[in-house]
Amino acid sequence: MTRIRLVRDVLDNQLIDTTGQNAGKVDGIVLELRDSTAIVRFVEIGPITLARRLHRRLGEWVARFDARLGQGRGAPIRIPISRVSLDSPSLRLDLSADSTPIMALERWLRRKIVRRIPGS
Amino acid sequence: MKRLLSVALGIVTSVGGFLEIGSITTAAQAGADFRYKLIWSIVLGTLCIALLIEMSGRFAAVSKHTIADAVRERFGLDFFLVPLVLVLLISLLVLAAEIGGVAVAVELVTGIHFPVWVLPVGLLAWGLLWYGTFSIIENGVSLLGLITIAFVVAALQLGPDWHALSAGLAPSLPDKRPAHYWFVAVSILGASISPYLFYFYSAGAIEERWDVTYLGSNRAVAAIGMGFGGFLSIAVLVVAALVLAPRGISIQEYTQLPLLLTTHWGRVGLGLFAGSLFITCLGATAEIALALAYQVAQGFGWNWGEDLEPSGDARFSLTYTIVLLVATLLVLTGLDPLKLTTLSMALTAASLPVAILPFLLLMNDETYLGEHTNGWLGNVSILVISVLAGVVAIVAIPLEIAGGS
Repeated sequence: MTRIRLVRDVLDNQLIDTTGQNAGKVDGIVLELRDSTAIVRFVEIGPITLARRLHRRLGEWVARFDARLGQGRGAPIRIPISRVSLDSPSLRLDLSADSTPIMALERWLRRKIVRRIPGS
Repeated sequence: MKRLLSVALGIVTSVGGFLEIGSITTAAQAGADFRYKLIWSIVLGTLCIALLIEMSGRFAAVSKHTIADAVRERFGLDFFLVPLVLVLLISLLVLAAEIGGVAVAVELVTGIHFPVWVLPVGLLAWGLLWYGTFSIIENGVSLLGLITIAFVVAALQLGPDWHALSAGLAPSLPDKRPAHYWFVAVSILGASISPYLFYFYSAGAIEERWDVTYLGSNRAVAAIGMGFGGFLSIAVLVVAALVLAPRGISIQEYTQLPLLLTTHWGRVGLGLFAGSLFITCLGATAEIALALAYQVAQGFGWNWGEDLEPSGDARFSLTYTIVLLVATLLVLTGLDPLKLTTLSMALTAASLPVAILPFLLLMNDETYLGEHTNGWLGNVSILVISVLAGVVAIVAIPLEIAGGS
């Protein structure tokens, strides 16, 4: 049995998706308490989770801004732990980040700004 | 053969990365005000940056991680953000100084006051990053940087006092203006040991897909490249000691800098000085803007790479765009390029302990480096030099600002 130390091996480590692209860092880990046993359920990725780690108020502020970006936004991005595997020191996702909101900001910036500058 | 070529290019790159507005200005001030007495600080700074560059190349080649990446993974968010913000703020000042340096170079040739050139220079640097690739920037700019050998030729032609010069290799206490002496000494250390340089280098090693077979070339590039860079800085100091010191000229304004080469070479000297300043500062501008974007992108786990099209890493490309924009605006606020340069170099020195300590801890982490962790000598030298530079800088900066001598 391999021992996984959540803070050392999972939190803040790099996520790589099925296409081999960088899909952010693990910014948060969601545990569920069931019959006094803690079970890892999700990893969280993105600015809302990051901001919350720094300060609760900052987290709320970023979430409000994020909510304006589209339907279903404004909450941290969660990926079920079953889609994540350890490839120390990185983590692999068994999905493509493009199908998740992880790349939403990247896509938005690409569409709205970068593509409008020649040579991009 | 290909490996040999890449080593040669790497060495040239480090030379290009070493000499820029900061090292030219601080070495010139040291030579003008204290003749050969401060050569030791260039030697010390060069030794330190050579060790750090070797470490950051080794780290990337063995662990396939960049430093920013690993600092976040290993120490968590808070410990990543503190050095990030500090390095970011200080590097913005250094970047502004470099942009100012390029603009001043254009002023020297055209005679048109430098603020006019700041915006075009910012655009030029941005264009290099947006349209260029890593190797164009690294190798192209660096090869042109060989123009700085002019300082070595000038130093030899003027004929330094070899005895006094070698005496300057050993640290000594100042015989006049002690506060200014230590301020210039730490500015030189700050100009040599630029944290952006090892962030940049480790990202470059990843972009060029280094592995453990590169460790030998890495060592050669770090030692010879940085050694040669330090040698060029010493040449600037020697020229200043021979040209400015005897005439009692202390550098108060950037317009005095070309005197280094114009005093004996006239118009040709002006061209060589302006060319050196233009190329080295432009190279440093591109490197710093990239280094900061690397650091942010790697710390947050984004796509990054100078060889990707900007639409393949929008957040990364927009980060260096914003960084360049902010630095350009900083120069446009009318800050004096010379004051900006010396102050940002001294502040860099003050920030060294915070910028370097997490890196040094990583270099001793077996999960990343396996059997290639640091030896004790490297650890102790870096620790002692960075802490000393930090402490002396924190004492010397207020004294210099207060105008103490």
